[in-house]
Amino acid sequence: MLAKPITLGPMHFEKRSDAVAYLKDMLHRYDVGDKVSEKDAVILRAALEHHPNSVAKIGCGIHYFSVRTADYGTKCFWVNRSDGTTEKFSITGSIHTR
Amino acid sequence: MELSDFQSWLLNEGIRADLDVITRLSVRNELDNLEPTTPALSSEAIDWPRLLFAGSILARSDQRSDQEAALRIATAAISLANKAQVKDAGAVLLGKLSNFRAIALAIDRSLLAADLNGRLGVALRLEAQRREMDRSILVQSSGTWLQVNDFQQRFWTNAAENGWLSASAPTACGKTFLVLQWLIDQVMACETKVAVYLAPTRALVSEIETNLNNLLDKPDLIEVSSLPLPDKYNAARAGTKRLILIFTQERLHLLANVLGNKFSTDLLIVDEAHKIGDNQRGVILQDAIERATRANPNLKAVFISPATQNPEELLTDAPHGVETIAVDSDTSTVIQNLIVATQVPRRSKLWSLTLRQHGSALQVGTLHLASAPVGYKKRLAFIAAAAGERGGTLVYANGAAESEEVANLISQLLPKLDNNDSELSQLAELARKGVHKDFQLAPLVERGVAFHYGNMPSLLRLEIERLFRSGKIRFLVCTSTLIEGVNLSCRTIVVRGPRKGKGHPMEPHDFWNLAGRAGRWGDEFQGNIICIDPEDKQAWPDGVPSRSRYPIKRESDAVLELGDGIVNYLYERGRSDFSSIEDADKFEQVGAYLLTTFMRLGSLSKANIAKRHDTASIAKLDEALRILVTHIDIGVDIASRHPGVSALGLQRLLDAFRNYKGDVENLLPAEVASNDSYDRFVTIMERINKHLFLAFTPETRIRLHALIVFKWLKGYSLSRMISDSIQWHQDVGRTFKLPELIRGTMELIEQIARFKAPKYFSAYMDVLHLYLREIGREDLISDGLDIGTQLEFGISSTTLLSLMEIGLSRMSAVAVYEKIARDDLTKEESIEWIVERIDQFESMGIPAIIIREVRERLTLFND
Repeated sequence: MLAKPITLGPMHFEKRSDAVAYLKDMLHRYDVGDKVSEKDAVILRAALEHHPNSVAKIGCGIHYFSVRTADYGTKCFWVNRSDGTTEKFSITGSIHTR
Repeated sequence: MELSDFQSWLLNEGIRADLDVITRLSVRNELDNLEPTTPALSSEAIDWPRLLFAGSILARSDQRSDQEAALRIATAAISLANKAQVKDAGAVLLGKLSNFRAIALAIDRSLLAADLNGRLGVALRLEAQRREMDRSILVQSSGTWLQVNDFQQRFWTNAAENGWLSASAPTACGKTFLVLQWLIDQVMACETKVAVYLAPTRALVSEIETNLNNLLDKPDLIEVSSLPLPDKYNAARAGTKRLILIFTQERLHLLANVLGNKFSTDLLIVDEAHKIGDNQRGVILQDAIERATRANPNLKAVFISPATQNPEELLTDAPHGVETIAVDSDTSTVIQNLIVATQVPRRSKLWSLTLRQHGSALQVGTLHLASAPVGYKKRLAFIAAAAGERGGTLVYANGAAESEEVANLISQLLPKLDNNDSELSQLAELARKGVHKDFQLAPLVERGVAFHYGNMPSLLRLEIERLFRSGKIRFLVCTSTLIEGVNLSCRTIVVRGPRKGKGHPMEPHDFWNLAGRAGRWGDEFQGNIICIDPEDKQAWPDGVPSRSRYPIKRESDAVLELGDGIVNYLYERGRSDFSSIEDADKFEQVGAYLLTTFMRLGSLSKANIAKRHDTASIAKLDEALRILVTHIDIGVDIASRHPGVSALGLQRLLDAFRNYKGDVENLLPAEVASNDSYDRFVTIMERINKHLFLAFTPETRIRLHALIVFKWLKGYSLSRMISDSIQWHQDVGRTFKLPELIRGTMELIEQIARFKAPKYFSAYMDVLHLYLREIGREDLISDGLDIGTQLEFGISSTTLLSLMEIGLSRMSAVAVYEKIARDDLTKEESIEWIVERIDQFESMGIPAIIIREVRERLTLFND
């Protein structure tokens, strides 16, 4: 199977797995409870727009991103919406499914 | 023959037989469910005139045993004799013992006709009146005369001098009442603008605050507060209203941190001052005293402790040139009967009771139990229920779980009360609504039984104590919280194999601190201590302890006396990561204290501690500390703000901040309203554990700890936190036992959210602020309420803070806050909100006891 390239904001990746690795690196630079920086948020926003449920995930609009606890002691990215609601989303779910 | 020899002869031989008869009779009168004696005991043959004469000779002795015998004779004459003249003579003897409260009690109980002085002959009347005058003190602030006992008088006279005073006397001596009177007098009539009263527990703080407010008849001149907020302090210094602050040692540090160099107190009272020896918190108290003394070297200091061996020990740190005096008393105001209970062989329902007094044993009788007690908890419960049936009975249990079980057993032996008492029903309501609908306390208090332990919310605990004092709760099962600073006495205390904390047998002085609660001066003539299975080596490894007084020893001195342990700890602390250091709990706090002291003075040889330890050990410590400070560049000021937290830990945290690669904003706690808040706490706790001190353990529970801190700050009620936890257990399919879950939640709140988190989070924030200034990010420093105070009280909104400023307990404040829509109400706006709606509180489902507290505070406020 041919590698599918993907562009996330200013970043271009030849392979989707590179994008996943990049985002995972990004995730691990943060501690739980951290707010994601503006620079990283641009890329995350682009990744979330790739998500199969992007409309529902983004909802009324993105306020900012955080890194918080997920199930089983892991951590993941969360989107915080303008209306105060919040939801986690998976990196692989955003990159691989479309 | 010298008088003392004569007194000793009287006691041992002269009146022994008669004294034994009245002792047996009066002890038997104290206990319920005794088998009749054969032949029946009677006081008919007692030669009262001879006995009373002997009593008046013994009353002149300063020996405790003689004083006790005189007191025994006097009370027996009043309660056992039939003739009015004998009763009157007993009362005169009580007067000689300056025990005016016991005379008042006898009149109150109709054992003695009123107007005693009117019935005395001229000579006796003059003598009695002179004694009453001699034994009176003038309360300047109110212009009234107060009748006092010898201890109280000596305290009052000596406290009038400037300087430091340390007073020690047994529990039922009227210490607290007198000290509070004196405190008010000082603040009203003297130069004192700000006084601090230190008490070792939050429960005692609430109690003292309430008592003081009740005693104050001029609340417009004096402000009383237990909140470490700067406004009232500033007002007092500006001269508007004088201020009495009631604090734990931690709260004193919180206020001093907020005020910085401005902090200074004119008068410091340290209650339960022997707690300076407590593991981990003793050194925080010592530090608080030293900090107040540094801020004002002319500070007047008063230490109070119950029956201690060496009250003068506390005076050795007084600044040079300050006068010091110790006031010590060992006289008894109530008789204390130490009774041991042993099972009659092969008769499990019959227990033989023996009175132990000064080396001799006196058979009292046989106690008949309702059921055969299998296992030690049943023994404790059944013997208490039988012997102490008339109430005022305190049972000592080893731990919170056991206290619930024993209380449950006792309640089963009691008949259900016919007419529901409204106060007991209200307490049950508070337990159901404030904790959980199935909290065991509720059905128990409806039967007049309760349990009581340290982690309970203070409103609940104070109400239990109040109803126990008033007699509506007849049995109270308590834990070692009682010897950790709760002013509660009882008629009878029942105990078997008491342990302190987790598993250690009680030292004799701890046991006697507990036993000393038997006998409420002014409410009873005697108190009883019933010790079960005295010969059982498991229960009493060293037997039932003989009377003993508490030796005061500072925690810091005790740690130094252990030898090189602390020196080795300091070396280890400098070298390695502390997860591998042993005995950190024992050494960290004192180590931190020594390090800060060294940083301040440049050598421990200049510190007070050098007065008490040899030069060689001080030099060894200096050497270890000198190496540590080479790693430290933070100032001594910041270290002084966090007693018990090592300056080395603070430095390592600062280094970690300096090496932090992320956005500095992520180092700050997130607002509790933010979605990130809980997770941010998790990370902060991990940082604290890694760099500052391994405070939140086990590390696998950090998330739970963070969740508790988060909910506590968010202003959740205890009942909500409990029901959340139940919900979580059900959602993930974990089993749980409700009583354990309730106790566990209470413990997490007290130990994590209210003790460890404020201590370490406020140190974290201070170091972070230092770092933010260093990198020019002062914009991130908020000037709001510091996190330590927020956590201590469990508040993060202005409204909740305002409610607590009115003086409400957190439980009440949260219950009211749940009904208030706005979170930014000032104190005045909150009062307005309440005044408009208080009549609807009941229909809002707010428990009656909370409504009562709200009303009381409002009245106080309106005054």
